[in-house]
Amino acid sequence: MRLIRAELLKARRRTMTWVLLTVALVLMGLSYLLIGLGMSALRGSGSDFGLGILEFPAQYATIGQFAFGIGGLLATVYVAALVGSDWNWGVLRNVVARGESRANYLLAKAAGLAIVLGIGMLIIFAAGILMVFLAGLVFNVPVSNPLRGRGLQDLAENLVLGYPVLLQRAALGFAVAVVMRSQLAGSVVGIALWLGESFLTTVLTVISIPNNLGGFIDGGIQQIGPVWYQFLPISIGGYVLNVLPGGSGLVSAAAGGGLQGLFLKPVPLELALPMVLIYLAVAIGVAIVALNRQEIV
Amino acid sequence: MDPLNTAPLPADHFMPRTDAPTPDLAVATRGLMKRYGRQIALTGLDMSVPTGKVYGFLGPNGSGKTTALRLLTGLLRPNAGTISLFGKPYTWHDWTRLFRVGSLIETPSFYPYLSGAENLDVLSASGPPTDKRRIDQVLEYVGMSGRAKSPIQTYSLGMKQRLGIAAAMLSDPDLLLLDEPANGLDPGGMVAMRETLRYFTAELGKTVVISSHLLHEVEMLADVVGIIDHGRLLREGPLHDLLEAAGRVRVRVAPEDMTKAAAVLREFAPDRPLYGVDSGDQAGWFTVGIAPARAAEINRALVGAGIYAAGLEPGSDLESIFLELTGRTGTVAAPPTAEPGPPPMGLPQ
Repeated sequence: MRLIRAELLKARRRTMTWVLLTVALVLMGLSYLLIGLGMSALRGSGSDFGLGILEFPAQYATIGQFAFGIGGLLATVYVAALVGSDWNWGVLRNVVARGESRANYLLAKAAGLAIVLGIGMLIIFAAGILMVFLAGLVFNVPVSNPLRGRGLQDLAENLVLGYPVLLQRAALGFAVAVVMRSQLAGSVVGIALWLGESFLTTVLTVISIPNNLGGFIDGGIQQIGPVWYQFLPISIGGYVLNVLPGGSGLVSAAAGGGLQGLFLKPVPLELALPMVLIYLAVAIGVAIVALNRQEIV
Repeated sequence: MDPLNTAPLPADHFMPRTDAPTPDLAVATRGLMKRYGRQIALTGLDMSVPTGKVYGFLGPNGSGKTTALRLLTGLLRPNAGTISLFGKPYTWHDWTRLFRVGSLIETPSFYPYLSGAENLDVLSASGPPTDKRRIDQVLEYVGMSGRAKSPIQTYSLGMKQRLGIAAAMLSDPDLLLLDEPANGLDPGGMVAMRETLRYFTAELGKTVVISSHLLHEVEMLADVVGIIDHGRLLREGPLHDLLEAAGRVRVRVAPEDMTKAAAVLREFAPDRPLYGVDSGDQAGWFTVGIAPARAAEINRALVGAGIYAAGLEPGSDLESIFLELTGRTGTVAAPPTAEPGPPPMGLPQ
């Protein structure tokens, strides 16, 4: 607990924590500004199209894109930076030389960062809901009560299922930063893996299109799979996010989800969620094994 | 008097040479070896640090001092050899044994965006349970209470160094390992550090290992010294014994007389190096490798050459022992040649 409390203090006092949270919130704010302006334009033209757009739980999907989609990418960079800086600033040396268990230290760091990311996710959802109402107020669009009917349950499902995905994506940066002993390397490689997987899955999905043609000739696209590249770290999280109330293929777009959603069968939640948790555990495990073997100079 | 022996000390000199428990030693290493790839940093280090003493760990740059300290604090794994801490074997996985050790290895490292007090707070969360009140106490020790709430990025090197020493003392350790602790300290800070460490050992019975290249500083502070070079301990023992055993006479002349005096002094020990200091507050001091009983002969010879000694004392200084053992520069000439070249320390010609 002492170590976790220390990690929370470090995160709270680090400027990057607030900068990245602000980036996510500003992007979400801009998004709702554009949505509101678009709806105003449509209303001005006399069209009723899009008037119901500020409905829940559909808006949870939009907020989820910032919490888990862009938020996941930011979390990867953030966690890599916070973990890797222990090497860059040489502070890990102090901790190890004081007789702290390396495994305990990393687990406490992971737990501390998980709490920080959880708080960040809650802030984004709270701010997102607030922005929906603000957009409705400013642009005179009716907003449904987010707690009406299954509203609260929908919100809870978004948070409970989205949180492991956020952690798993962040854990990618965690493991890379520990293995490479650098905050910059952790962030850069984390982003590169994210984008690289997105590119790879898109290419592989395109290559698989001829396999769908049989169904296409019969009058529709026949989805195939699930195939192996749907189980890669970023893609698999997308399949969890897709089943969230209000979720859509857009959420998993970071891993070529648009194409995947069209041509590939989705990975069921019963398979996707355990895979996410396994990736999370493996990433932390790899980090602990790596640190236990490392010599600190 | 024989020249200084550069071989490791004999078994009965100071330390037991076995892997048996070493209860009187805070630190004992035997045959400690460390390689970085093909480069050998330590080639079988046998180091014995008695409990309750200040141990000066001396060596030129790259001699293996920091590597040894890293091994003692579990940052590195030895390729061979054993380490004992407080009389019991210590290995890489016995991390809780380090609860009794405080260390400052290389440069002090902190989170730059946290204040000094916050850094100590964060650090106190790791390792042994540490009372929060101890943070204020150690900040007071090192004279940093006034800047405790300022971010580290606003600290000077000397302030970081003070905070590093405070961090090392945070858990009230029985053994302090300090790597170049005087780096960046102003004269007042060095005096304060010396007094603090003296108090630490003399009053509290704790042990301090100081790795340093500041020989004068170590000479004023250390009870025991170990001199290391090329990863091997060349000499170890109580400082007083080392200085006595060196069998030397120190003589001080006016700096402008140094060249002339060097010619006279060489005659006394033509087969041994002659050391002279030509700058700083020690300028004018020569160390001559002869028995202290012959000090009067030196004085007579100098007077005969028209040079008046400003100081004359038996014994040696740590610097001359260090330079002779490590074979580094600093000798005026040994032995003198017909046409001596420029002296390594820039002695006046």
